[in-house]
Amino acid sequence: MRRHTRRIFNICYRFTGNRTEAEDLTQDVFLRVYRTLPSYRSAHGGFATWATSVTRNLLIDHYRRTKRDRVTDSLDDAMPVVETKESVARRPDEQALLGELSGQVQSALTRLSPELREAVILRDLQQLEYIEIQRVLAVPEGTVKSRINRGRIELARILQQMGVRPS
Amino acid sequence: MTWTCEQTEARLSDYLDGLLDPAEWSAFNQHVNTCEVCAPLVAGVAHTLGGLYALEQVEPPPQLETAILKATVGVVRTKYDFWVWLRGLQSPRFVYSAVSVTATIVLLLTATGFNWRRPKLADLSPATIYRNADSTIHRVYAHSVKFVSDLRVVYEIQQAINENQQQNPGLREETIPQSSPKKEPGRTDNSNPSSPKQQNRANDISKRLEVLACEFPILSGALVDRRMP
Repeated sequence: MRRHTRRIFNICYRFTGNRTEAEDLTQDVFLRVYRTLPSYRSAHGGFATWATSVTRNLLIDHYRRTKRDRVTDSLDDAMPVVETKESVARRPDEQALLGELSGQVQSALTRLSPELREAVILRDLQQLEYIEIQRVLAVPEGTVKSRINRGRIELARILQQMGVRPS
Repeated sequence: MTWTCEQTEARLSDYLDGLLDPAEWSAFNQHVNTCEVCAPLVAGVAHTLGGLYALEQVEPPPQLETAILKATVGVVRTKYDFWVWLRGLQSPRFVYSAVSVTATIVLLLTATGFNWRRPKLADLSPATIYRNADSTIHRVYAHSVKFVSDLRVVYEIQQAINENQQQNPGLREETIPQSSPKKEPGRTDNSNPSSPKQQNRANDISKRLEVLACEFPILSGALVDRRMP
């Protein structure tokens, strides 16, 4: 229970970049898992993969539901790097926890499109195999690889725009 | 074989994940080493990957697990809930119920002969409780029977007296002193000539006064004055 809670909370937090939303989404994920537990079949992959798939669906639903609220966020995308760093620094506890580079990576993650973001999170943060990501996202393996690759490149470009350059 | 920028970018993740075969690896490196666009791109993505791998797992808040359990399986017993439950015991309804139950237990134990001054575990055995309860019940029954019997005797005596009085109504007037509304305050004698018993008492008092007057002449005047003003 604790292991799954931690994993799903991390997926939600990396996807939303907000602890409160991540808590609510994690709770919603477990509620949906509990209600749809009879529909779980082990042939569709392990429980973790199935729970991750439920998480992904809820995150996409949440993204679409809150799309209107992010109109102002899109304006922030065009702002200079300094502005972005300040907006990230609004949560000092998170900033102190993640460190400077981690905070910037987290900030850049939330700017990715949801399709690329979920692929990068599942591959590079949750360390899932391609076949598992394929089951979670319900897309072909080629699409998974393409999304991961494009997601990494897009993330690097966003970090470069933020002024983060490789040493 | 030399790759184009599009090819290099499309296989960038495979290169970083080590999924390229030696020929592809060589072609990729050859292009990156000569391309001013792809070289910084590969360095940037590699740096980004380092940043992603450096991201640590975020610990969920402690209350999240409890909230999930409450939302799914229902009530969860935790230390916090225990204190909330304990605080709920301070309600007047629970205190009243607890006092009632305690009083009932004390009454039952007392009725079964439990010694509160010297409590023993043996007194709580079912056999002892049954024996004590049986003895107490028989004792209470005997007391009740005796009390009812006494009441019956008293009632029968009272009924016999009433019947006797109804049969002889004049007896009550002789035995019970009657108050006379015609008697003056301070008057001790009874002027009613129809009561010989009181007349005899008056005569007796008169005789005693005469004896006192003979013995104490000084008082005779006062006594005579007092007797016959």
